[in-house]
Amino acid sequence: MKLSRRTRAVAAVAGAASIALLATACSTNGSSGGSSDEKITLNVTTFGTMGLDDLYKSYEKANPNITIKATNIDTGGNALTDWKTKQAAGSGLPDVQAVEEGWLGQVMQVSDTFTDLSKYGAGDIKDRWVDWKLKQATDKDGRIIGYGTDIGPEGLCYNSKLFAAAGLPSDRDGVASLFGGKDATWDDFFKVGEQYKAATGKAFYDQSGFVWNAMVNQLPAGYYSKDGKIDVTSNDDLKKQWEKLSGGAAAGLSSGQTAWDWGKGKAFTDGSFATFMCPGWMLGVVKGQVETAGGDATSGWDFADVFPGGPANWGGSFLTVPTQSKHPKEAAALAAYLTTAKSQVAAFQAAGTFPSVTEAQSDSGVTGDSYLTKFFNNAPVGKILASRADGVVAQYKGPNDSVIQEQVFGPATQELDKGTDGTTAWNDALTTLKNLDLK
Amino acid sequence: MSTMTRHQLPDIRPDAERPTSTPPRLSFSQRLSRFDVKASPYLYIAPFFVLFGLVGLFPLVYTFVVSLNDWDILSGPGDWIGLANYGTELSDPYFWNSLFNTLSIFLLSSIPQIIAAVFIAAILDQNLRAKTFWRMSVLIPYVVTPVAVAIIFSSAFSEKYGLINNILQSFGLDPVMWKTEVLPSHLAIASMVNWRWTGYNALILLAAMQAVPRDIHESAALDGAGSFRRFFSITLPSIRPTMIFVIITATIGGLQIFTEPKLFNPQSANLGGPHREYQTTVLYLWDMAFNRGNFGKASAIAWLLFIIIVAFGLLNFLISRRIASVESAGISTRRARRLAQYRAETDASSAVPTTPDQVPASVEPAAVIAQERRS
Repeated sequence: MKLSRRTRAVAAVAGAASIALLATACSTNGSSGGSSDEKITLNVTTFGTMGLDDLYKSYEKANPNITIKATNIDTGGNALTDWKTKQAAGSGLPDVQAVEEGWLGQVMQVSDTFTDLSKYGAGDIKDRWVDWKLKQATDKDGRIIGYGTDIGPEGLCYNSKLFAAAGLPSDRDGVASLFGGKDATWDDFFKVGEQYKAATGKAFYDQSGFVWNAMVNQLPAGYYSKDGKIDVTSNDDLKKQWEKLSGGAAAGLSSGQTAWDWGKGKAFTDGSFATFMCPGWMLGVVKGQVETAGGDATSGWDFADVFPGGPANWGGSFLTVPTQSKHPKEAAALAAYLTTAKSQVAAFQAAGTFPSVTEAQSDSGVTGDSYLTKFFNNAPVGKILASRADGVVAQYKGPNDSVIQEQVFGPATQELDKGTDGTTAWNDALTTLKNLDLK
Repeated sequence: MSTMTRHQLPDIRPDAERPTSTPPRLSFSQRLSRFDVKASPYLYIAPFFVLFGLVGLFPLVYTFVVSLNDWDILSGPGDWIGLANYGTELSDPYFWNSLFNTLSIFLLSSIPQIIAAVFIAAILDQNLRAKTFWRMSVLIPYVVTPVAVAIIFSSAFSEKYGLINNILQSFGLDPVMWKTEVLPSHLAIASMVNWRWTGYNALILLAAMQAVPRDIHESAALDGAGSFRRFFSITLPSIRPTMIFVIITATIGGLQIFTEPKLFNPQSANLGGPHREYQTTVLYLWDMAFNRGNFGKASAIAWLLFIIIVAFGLLNFLISRRIASVESAGISTRRARRLAQYRAETDASSAVPTTPDQVPASVEPAAVIAQERRS
């Protein structure tokens, strides 16, 4: 019914964009040079739970001339829309903008609209981060446009009660070696899944989408070839992984859940599935889902130091300084502060985001007890994630990587969960990709 | 007002009445007041047109300009490609899919909605106790924001844990794939739209029904017409112009459905179902602009949708004109028939001395009111 005048809204955005494009033509990043007594307000836009709120306060205390105005957007997807709209309009971006790894490819398309942090001391602190995180934030001209916050090394969440009921080992070390320990492969994963299915008749993982996501992220090349072109059809690795995944779905290992909904968490507590792909930030999600459904630490979820197919990373963010900022120097200083080892330990304790700074990864604040270790059966969450982060290789992500993930393989993995055979679903995915006509 | 009366004499008379000699020189205040009369009405209505030009017309024209370019949301305007965006969109299967979904959801929502609204209005039109309570009750769904409606319905229609599938399964029926199949998803979304808008339309129709003179009902009742007969022969024909208004607004709104499909399934929020089962045109447009980042194509879609809505509007206008003329013809034949009947009756009995015009005269105000509302 007469709800939103979307057509007009889009038109208005387009209109605003044009005016703003004219306006920005004459904007420069001339900063005041930052005399310390000048009152400065810095706008910061983040999303999800990044655990930075307390750090803003302590930064304001240490720098009395700085006021931080923080905006937090509920999800990364909405933050992307927000950023894109303001980027297109050429105005309205904050001084510090958080960027997610998933849309880094789009950011890199317009990396010249972000301040090169090397001008503000990035060179002095670049050893902070694990090397691949820094590499991700460096554009093709060698400019460093973002400081890494968290990373998302993936481990395996599993339900120890369900494993025990199926006659499988249920302690963390036992589970890790069940999947093959350091040499865990996807074949091992699906084989254990079939054992579990045979013993209990239940599904093994929640849905195919997250498994596929992990499989793709591990490959040397994902949807884009290394020279920056979309290449799915001739990527044999992709096809091979797809066959494994569709084999698992055909064997009934997928519970076919709706991701990000999971029956409002019920699927985590009613035994629908026994394993779950867990990057660091997902641990908080699992806890939240279980609690929404009325469960708690006794629900049996645990976290094992193993991941099929080797190290994998999913997600993680960066703090950038758009060139629209009037105070790039101060904004860069704030971004640097928010990504020190100390700050990242604080953020981990507040939100469970695993640090990308090497020094923070081994800090006792990360490796020690936290509310997450209590929930996951006293699993040393921080230590396990540090071990899972070892050996991650950053894959090249093109501008439309997230669109392909969502619009091409999202539907295809859901088809697998509905019982479509692998070949049909793969061909459907290729047809969609062709129809979308992406670059 | 005083200035108007002062200057009226020399100005308002037609040319023929003016003295043939040279017209008298107007004083400054006379000129001013003349200007006042001629120009100020335009000034008074100007704010609307200025605003419309700014937020309505300019974006419309600008969108058209954007649609002629290869325009990426991030990198800005590229090459001028003329109507190529329209060409690719018209041959894009997803565009036609979105149009089919929009029309299907529109039909599934508008038709049951208007039928239900008419009957609810008819019931509310009776002499109920606590009238205001009942009337306000049907409007409550309209007060709830569409986002809240979408979230609640989305949970009820959930495939694995939803209320509706749970009920179905407790009766031993198969669960319905509300979020991944075409027809069930359209029904689910139409039910959200209906839930929200039926009461609103019922109140508009109720207002029209209340404008139908009661004495027609009374005399029909005296003549022995039952309540169904009175409803179909008196109420429905009298509210037809209002019905047309309701149908037109429902059409314009129905072709722009966005919130419900956007929030229906969080897993495929941008696609409207894993395989675009319920992706409406506006959702497709939004996805094109903000996910796929193609502003040029998105603008072309916006314009195509605009043209389609204008076409639907024109079609409705033509049909409504037809219905209006049929209606007045209907009234005059009815009037003639009743008049003849009445005369026959008075000739036969000649008992009650009423004016013969009474019945048609009382029909006319309703028709006039309705006519005004339509315009």
